[in-house]
Order: sequence, then C-alpha cells, then structure tokens
Amino acid sequence: MIDSRVARRYAGALFQAARAGEMVRAVETDLGTVVDAIRSNPEFRHFTMTPLVGRDDKISIFQNVFGDKLTSLTMQVLRLMIERGREADLESVHAEFVKLRRSEDGIVFATVTSREPLTPEQKVALVEKVELRIKKKIEPEFVTDVRVIGGVKVAYDNYVLDGTVRGSIGKLREKLRYELLKQS
Amino acid sequence: MSNEQKSSGSPIVGIILGAVIMVGGTYLSLNAKALGVGGIQETLEGQGIPLDFGKTLGTIGVFLILFPVIKSFFIKPLQDAIQERNSDLERTFTEAENLRTEMERMRSDYDRRLAESEASAREQIQSQIREAQNLRSSLMAEAATRADALVQQATAEIEAEKQKVLVELRTHVVDLALAAAEKVVGENMDSERNRRLVDDYINSVEVVA
Repeated sequence: MIDSRVARRYAGALFQAARAGEMVRAVETDLGTVVDAIRSNPEFRHFTMTPLVGRDDKISIFQNVFGDKLTSLTMQVLRLMIERGREADLESVHAEFVKLRRSEDGIVFATVTSREPLTPEQKVALVEKVELRIKKKIEPEFVTDVRVIGGVKVAYDNYVLDGTVRGSIGKLREKLRYELLKQS
Repeated sequence: MSNEQKSSGSPIVGIILGAVIMVGGTYLSLNAKALGVGGIQETLEGQGIPLDFGKTLGTIGVFLILFPVIKSFFIKPLQDAIQERNSDLERTFTEAENLRTEMERMRSDYDRRLAESEASAREQIQSQIREAQNLRSSLMAEAATRADALVQQATAEIEAEKQKVLVELRTHVVDLALAAAEKVVGENMDSERNRRLVDDYINSVEVVA
C-alpha cells in the first residue's frame, strides 16, 4: 500500500542529503531512471513489487542493473527502501522529490497542451510570457491533445491559461447558457 | 219533610175512610131494601145491569184500605227505582257531558299542540333549509375559491414548465450548434491555422508590469 506520508519522509531525507552533496539533479535523474524502468517494463514492475522475491535478491538485482548508472546516494536509498519493504513507494518518492526540488528552486510545474507539438520558438516565447505573467520560473511539460482543436493551454497549480478553440467554445457555451437562464 | 208527613198522614186517613166505606157498603149490601136502594138495583138488574151498590162501595173501601199498602210496597219502590234510574241517567249524562267537555278540551289541547308542533316543525324545517342554503352557498364559494387557486397554480406550473422546456430546448440547440461548430472548426483546422492560433495567443498573453 502506498503511504504518501512515508513517501514524503523518504523524499525529504533524500532531498536534504542530495542538496548537501550538491547532487539534487543527479538524484532526481536517478529516481526518474528507476521509475521509468518500473513503468515501462511490467516484468520488472512485478519483480520489484512482489513479496515472493527475497529482499537480498532484489537488492542484488538492483545493484547489478543500476549499480553503474546511479549515484551512491540513490543506491543507498533504494537499498534502504527495499530492506524496509517500501518498494511500492518508489514512484511517490520520486514525485515528492521533484516537488521538493521545484519548491526549493521556486519553480512552478506547468502543463502546456496543444493540438500539435509547438515549435522551439513557440515554446521559448510561451514560457517567457508565462514566467513574466506569474513572476515565477516554470518547468513546462509539453503534451499534445487533438481534443483542444487548436491553440494552446497552460495549466499550473490551480490556474489555467486557456487559448484553445475548445476553451473558447466552452466559454461561449457557458455565456449563452447564462444568458438563457437570465432570460427565463 | 212536609211530603213525608203528608204521605204518612194520607194512608191512615185513606185506611180509615176505606174501612168506613167498606163497612158502610157491607151494611148497604145487606140492608139494600131497607135503605131504599133495592128497587133501583132490581130495575138495573132488569135492564141487564146487575149492580149491587153495597158491594161496590165495599170494594171501593177495600181498595182504599189496600191502596197505601200497594203504594208502600209497589209504587214507592217503583218510583224510587225510577228516580234512581233517572239520577243514574242524569249522572251518566253529566259524566258523559263532563267526558265530552274533557274530550273537547283535550281535543282542543291536542289541536293546539299539534298546531304548535307543526309550527315548530315548520320553523325547524325552514331553519334547516336556510342553514343548508347558507352551507351550500359557503361550500360553493369555497369550491370556487379553491378552483380559482388550483387554476392559478396550474397556470403558473404550466408556465414554469413551459419556460423550463424552452430553456432546455434552447440549451440543447446551443449545445448542438456549438458541437457542430467544434466539428466544422476541427475539420478545417490545419497546422498553419493552429500555428497562427498559438502565435496569436502567445502575443495576447497579458504581462503584469
């Protein structure tokens, strides 16, 4: 069972250690590598999550697979979590670590959605405009979704900057419904 | 009292007189020739009328003697009986008259009571009729009021429902129109138009100074 409080504690301790060793980005990359491997490979996910495989065997396999790719700090944390049966919290620890790193750097995570991939120039211009608007650095994740029809949408925290055709039609729908209700 | 004295005196006189006449008659019958009535009797007998004055007087005397007895033992009880009968009849008549008067009185009382009962019943019936008419009027007015209220409520509900349906219909039309617009815009969207839309939005993002 995933316990977000446990994940926050592991992530907090790991972030403090990484910040002290000035290896925050490296540790984040390490955690991303492990989480990607778990997400992309069902057999590896099963191996990691099952209680039927012994902890020493899991540690040995992790050491063999990731030993030369991860920092020693990351490997120590992986070993500790496996010893304590917290393998299921790996993805949550990664997410919490990313949140801590963004909070530490004053960075806001933003999801940019468009019908087609944006050009590099558009990405740069959009990020600059949004950062100027919210007066914070943003870490964008660019995704495509044909349901927006056209235009672009930026979602961060609890806010949305909607410049899509679907969003405009939605606003028009709400306005027309409001007018209809007001008339009745 | 005077009648009783008179009646008690008269029989004695009659008896005495009767005895005298009876004795006189017997004497006359025995001594008719001597007293000078024998010739008359013989004359009458010769004419076919055998009359002995002495025996006749004697018979009259006997009758006068017997008359008070007859009166005392036969006539007087008969008179008393007749008198009693008359009294009974008078009493009966009086009672009958009283009964008749009482009956008349009761009948008039009955008629009066009957009239009073009829008047009372008539009054009660009239009162009930008036009450029923008032109740009918009241119920009619109440029913009319309720019917008006129901009609007004139904009218208001129909109007509200109509407005609701109208709004739903218009909302549906709006949804259909916007869905069609989405489809048309989506089908006509190409990379160039999308690029222009993105650029326009990037340029339109307001930056707070």
